[in-house]
Amino acid sequence: MDTDVQQRVLKAIAEVLERNEEEIRLDASLRDDLAFDSLKQMTLFILLEDEFQRTMPPESLMGIVTVKDIIDFIDRKLQEPAPT
Amino acid sequence: MNRRVVITGAGVVSSIGVGVDEFWRHCLQAKSVVVPIPENWKRYADLHSQIWSPLPDINPDYLGVTRTERLQLDPVSVLAIGAAREAFERAGFNLVPNAASSRVFSIAGVDASRIGLYLGTGIGGVHTLLHSHTHHLYQRARATVKDYSENRAPTQNREMLDGVLALMAHGPRYHPFQVSMLMSNASSAAVAIKFSITGPNVTYCVACASGTVAIGNAYRAVRDGCIDIAISGGCEHLDDEHGSIFRSYDIAGTLVRDCADPEAANRPFDEKRSGFLFSQGGAAVLILEDLEHAQRRGATIMAELIGFAETFDAHSMMSLAPGGEQIERMLRAALADAGVGAHDVDYINAHGTGTKNNDEAEAEIIDRVFGKSVRVNSTKSLLGHTIGASGAIEILVTALSLRDQITHISKNLDAPLRDLNFVRAAGQFDLRVALSQSFAFGGHNAAVVLRRYS
Repeated sequence: MDTDVQQRVLKAIAEVLERNEEEIRLDASLRDDLAFDSLKQMTLFILLEDEFQRTMPPESLMGIVTVKDIIDFIDRKLQEPAPT
Repeated sequence: MNRRVVITGAGVVSSIGVGVDEFWRHCLQAKSVVVPIPENWKRYADLHSQIWSPLPDINPDYLGVTRTERLQLDPVSVLAIGAAREAFERAGFNLVPNAASSRVFSIAGVDASRIGLYLGTGIGGVHTLLHSHTHHLYQRARATVKDYSENRAPTQNREMLDGVLALMAHGPRYHPFQVSMLMSNASSAAVAIKFSITGPNVTYCVACASGTVAIGNAYRAVRDGCIDIAISGGCEHLDDEHGSIFRSYDIAGTLVRDCADPEAANRPFDEKRSGFLFSQGGAAVLILEDLEHAQRRGATIMAELIGFAETFDAHSMMSLAPGGEQIERMLRAALADAGVGAHDVDYINAHGTGTKNNDEAEAEIIDRVFGKSVRVNSTKSLLGHTIGASGAIEILVTALSLRDQITHISKNLDAPLRDLNFVRAAGQFDLRVALSQSFAFGGHNAAVVLRRYS
């Protein structure tokens, strides 16, 4: 797991939730622990698109449950060629 | 209930200045920003007008807008929030974050349900609409053409196909918040959410009169005791990657045609005027407040609002009605509402677009109603036309003129089309009562009357 990616994802989650990054645990469930609803999930993904300059269509959300799932997803996304 | 209504704060974002101090200083220096339109726009259409007045690059952080907000708002709402934040701060209100890391604020010591929000915009989030629509139209078609170009097209066709692909350029996605970004009431809602304002919240969409009508109705709401404070103004952001919004005004023949000398092209009320200068947009927000409420908290008062009226031509979508009967009725009603006569008005901030028809009709009506001694200028001679923001920006200029007893010149006015007292040289004036008027596509006419506060 890339620690830089982890830090930037935690920062984005904290921005959406208006909380401190230190309060966000890696194993936290977005929906059950962090009270993400669908609007907050969309907000998070447009923030992540902006942060990492990658397009992340809504179907990207499938299978993502925890904070760590997002970090892993971004790690994989960054392995893909950058958009032209 | 008939309460006195005063302006206690203001904020502005414009092509010639961000913030009231810079904006007003540049107005008095007769500064303009006039540059050629983007080259990219010319790839899509042959345009008659060749110049515009773009906004400066503005860091959203400077406007108090976070990344989370910026990514979910059309630029028009970002401008409105920035102007509103400055207005609150200038009015002396203390903005308190709702929680430690919160991006929204409350106004300390004020009942938020007694604050109303009245904002005007001509076209709202059209930037977002066109940006996503381009993606909607081109994403799949472009991918198909790209695949063909790269894998199957004869070599001699590649250059032509590359040109087509360039014309089909689009953004990376169809925005998931498209609806809440483009809807006309988005800016009013965004400002009220940002500052936790729970009183009446209304958006006025009356084209070029939007800002004036919004401030006029806000004035009435405070005057009549419906609310104690109104956050009111206008905002507009007219820009898209392909120049389509510019083209819509250009094809209607409204934009400045004679662009050989860009600095001199925009010339309202001049014999050589050839249309209005298209502005990328802007925003102005005023804090209107019940006088006693303002006095209790020791606010500094910029000027007093004393009258408002609006009428409708019921004649044409794009032309002023011949004779200006409804404009004259509107002006006389505004004066009556203010309790002043036409001879009491020292200064008029005119609609003054620079189009052949507007300026000729407006000058004739001013002459008929107010005579030749009232001072007249056009803020659009500096900024160009900011459509839904223009009325609010011009009321701000009118209030600053009353506060400082000075106003800006009507720029590039070398040969006035009529013998009126146009402001052609800066200087100190004795300004007690002033009026700002706007006329809009559709046929809307509105004016606000202000008085020097003493």
